[in-house]
Amino acid sequence: MRFDQVVVTAAPGDATTGSAFEIRSLLRRLGPSEIFAQNIHPDLHEEVFPLHDFRRTSRGSRRPADDIIIFHGSIGAPEVFSFILGRPERIVLVYHNISPADAFLPYDPAFAGLLESGRRDVARLARRAEIALTPSHFNARELMAMGYRDVRVWPLIVDLDRMRSVVPDPQTVVDLDSLDGPMLLFVGQMLPHKRPDYLVQAFHILSTYLVPEAHLALVGAPRLESYRRRLFTYIDELNLFRLHRVGFIDDAILAAYWRRANAWVTASEHEGFLQPVLEAMGFDLPIVARSYGAVPETVGGAGIVIPAGDGPEVFAEAMAEVLTNERLRERLVALGRNRRASFSADASRAAFLQHLVDVA
Amino acid sequence: MSAPSSDADSIDALVDKLKERVAERRRAGEYPERLVEDLDAHFERIAAHRFPAYDFDVLRAKLGALDAAGAFNPDQISYATRVPGGSFIHRLLGKVVRRQTEGILAQAQRHADAVRDALWEVVAALETPAAHTHVDLVGEIEAIFEKLATYERTVGHTTAEGLARRVEALEARTVNEFDPWYSSDHFESRFRGASGDLIERYRDLAQAFEGIRGPVVDIGCGRGEFLELLLDVVGDSRGVEIDPELVRQCVERGLPVEFGEAVSWLGAVADEGIGGLSLIQVVEHLTPQGLVDFVQLAARKVRPGGRVVVETVNPQSLYTFAHAFYLDPTHKAPVHPAYLLFLFEEAGFSKVELQWRSPCPPDDRLAPVDAGSADGELVRTINANNERVNQLLFAEQDYALIATR
Repeated sequence: MRFDQVVVTAAPGDATTGSAFEIRSLLRRLGPSEIFAQNIHPDLHEEVFPLHDFRRTSRGSRRPADDIIIFHGSIGAPEVFSFILGRPERIVLVYHNISPADAFLPYDPAFAGLLESGRRDVARLARRAEIALTPSHFNARELMAMGYRDVRVWPLIVDLDRMRSVVPDPQTVVDLDSLDGPMLLFVGQMLPHKRPDYLVQAFHILSTYLVPEAHLALVGAPRLESYRRRLFTYIDELNLFRLHRVGFIDDAILAAYWRRANAWVTASEHEGFLQPVLEAMGFDLPIVARSYGAVPETVGGAGIVIPAGDGPEVFAEAMAEVLTNERLRERLVALGRNRRASFSADASRAAFLQHLVDVA
Repeated sequence: MSAPSSDADSIDALVDKLKERVAERRRAGEYPERLVEDLDAHFERIAAHRFPAYDFDVLRAKLGALDAAGAFNPDQISYATRVPGGSFIHRLLGKVVRRQTEGILAQAQRHADAVRDALWEVVAALETPAAHTHVDLVGEIEAIFEKLATYERTVGHTTAEGLARRVEALEARTVNEFDPWYSSDHFESRFRGASGDLIERYRDLAQAFEGIRGPVVDIGCGRGEFLELLLDVVGDSRGVEIDPELVRQCVERGLPVEFGEAVSWLGAVADEGIGGLSLIQVVEHLTPQGLVDFVQLAARKVRPGGRVVVETVNPQSLYTFAHAFYLDPTHKAPVHPAYLLFLFEEAGFSKVELQWRSPCPPDDRLAPVDAGSADGELVRTINANNERVNQLLFAEQDYALIATR
C-alpha cells in the first residue's frame, strides 16, 4: 500500500506545502511516499515531482485501488481536480480552505475565477473522498454543507519545538536589536483577504496617535503583484517609515523576527486555520486578531480577538494595550502557553495515522 | 482546549473597554473627524488607480541583456553532425563561404543594432509623463491632491507648526465662545463701576474727538458710556459690540449700537469711510494677529485728519496685574504702550501720542518717610527707593493712545 500526496502549488513558506512536508515525513516511516504538484517553485524541484510524473511512479504488482492519494485542497486548479477525479486510487482530502474569490476580484479577476471554480471542484470531490480531514470546525461546517459525509477535525502537524530550535540569523538579530521601540509582527502571505491594508491603517493610527515608537514588520511573500504594488504605494503615501516590508525570508531570519517581536498581529478576514497563531504562542507573543473564519477557534480565547466589522482604531487600541500593559501581556502569554500545549505535534501525527488506518 | 470562560470573559470586557476608549478619543477630538473614512478613501483611490502596464525595470533589464550579448560571430556556427566525416565537410564548406557568411552576419548585426536602439527609444518615450494619456495625468493629479488633503487632516496637526495653529484657533474659539450664565451688565457694574462713574472718568478723553467730522465708531462699546460722550462731542457716532446682551441693552436705551466683531466689522467699511475710532478697554481682548490686522485696517478706513483713540490697561504698572487685568476672564494679553505706539506709527498715522490715566489710589502707594525724625541722608535714600518701587508697582493703571491719521 502506498500513500502519496498531491498539492496544486508547492512553494517555500506556503502553509499547505509545509503541511505536506510534515505529512510526508510521517508517511515515509511507513514506506515510500512522494509529493506531486502542478506548479513547483524552482527551490523545490528536488523535493516535489510534477503531477504528470505520477503515472510513472513504480507500483509493482499492486492494484491502484489499494493505494491512497492524499489531496490538499487549497486553491482552484481545474486540471488537478480532473486528474484527481480520474484516478482509481482512494482519495483522502485534507482541506485547508479556499480563499474567498471576492477579495481577489479587483486585483486579478482570472485568479478570482480559479478560486471560485476551486470551491465547486472541492464540492464535486465530495462523492469520491473516503474521508475529509480539516483543521477547524469552521472548515468542517463548509465541507458538510458541500455534501461530505465523513468530515474529521484534525489539528495540522505544527512542530513548534523544531521552529524554536532554529538558530536565528546573527546579522538579522543585530539589525533588529538596533531598532528602538516595540515591534509588532505579521507573518502571512500579502493577499487581499488577509487585509494587510487594514493592518497598515491600524498601524498608521497606532504610530501617529498612540505609540509613536512602535514598529510593524510584514513578513511573507507578496504573491499577487497588482495587490502588492497598491499596498506598498499606500504604505509609501502614509509615510510609515517604521513599517518594515520584509517579504519572504528563510527560517533563520524568521526566527530572529519571532524572537525580536513583542506581539503578533493579523487583520485577516478569512482563515481556514491560522498556523502562525500557534507559532506566536510558541514564541510567547501576545496575539491581536479579528473575528473572522476559523480565527477565533484557533486563538481559543488566548489572545485579543476584535469583533468583525470593528474599525482600525479599535485594532490600534488593542495593539497599544498589548505593547504597554505589562500585566495583560503576561496573562496573554500564559494563556498562549496553555493553548499551544493542546496542539502537540506528536498527538497530531498519531491522530493522522489513526484516520488513515480507518480508511485503509 | 480553549481558555477558561473567566479569561474569555475578561478579554471580552477588555475589548469593550478598548472600544469605549476609542469613542472617548473621538469625543475629545484626539482623532481627526474623518480619520477612518479618509484612510479608506485613500486606499480605494490607490486600488482603483491604473498603474502603468509595463514594468520598465524589466524592459530595461531585457534590453541590457541584448546589449551584453555581443556581436554575431561566425565562429559560433556549429559544424556538428551525426554523419561520419560530415563535420569535416561542413567545416570545409564553412571556410569556402566564410566571406559571404560574414557579409550576411554584418547586415543582420546592423539590423539588430537598429532594432535595439529603437527599442531603447520606445522605453524612454513611454517613461516620460508627456507620453501618458490625459486621463492618467488627471488621475495622478487628483491622487496628489487627495494625498495632500489626507496628510493635512491626519498628520498636519501633529507637527509643531500644525499644533501651534490648532492651539491658537482653539484659544480664539474659547474666547469667542465664552458664554457665561451671569449677566454681563452685573459684571461691568461690579468691576468697572456704575455707568455714571464711567462717563465722568472718560469725559476728558472724549474731548480728543473735538472738531472731528463723523462718523466716529466706538468699537466694543459695552454699556455705551463712551458712545454717549461721543454723541455729545461729535454727534454722528455709533457703537459696535460683540456681546448680544449689551447690544440689546444699548438699543433699548436708544443708543445706535450694532452687533459685530472689531476686525471683521471694520473690514466691511468703505476705505476712508469714517472720521474716527475709539477702543476703550478692547485691545487686550484681541489676539496678536487680531491687533496688527486691526491697526492696518484702521489706517485704511479712517480718513486723513481723522482720529483713533485706544485706551487699555498699562502693563508697565504691576499693580494692574493684581487688580484689573486678571479680573476679566476674556482678557488675552496686555498691550505694551511702546508696541502700540510703534504699530500706529508704522501703519502711517501722522501724529501719535500717549496719555497716562487712572492713577493708583494714593493710599496703596508706599508713603515717604517723615524727614524730621531721622538722619537726612538715610531718609532721602529710603524715599528715593520708595519712589522707584512706586514707579514700578503703582504707575498709572491705564494709558490712552491718541493717533491722528
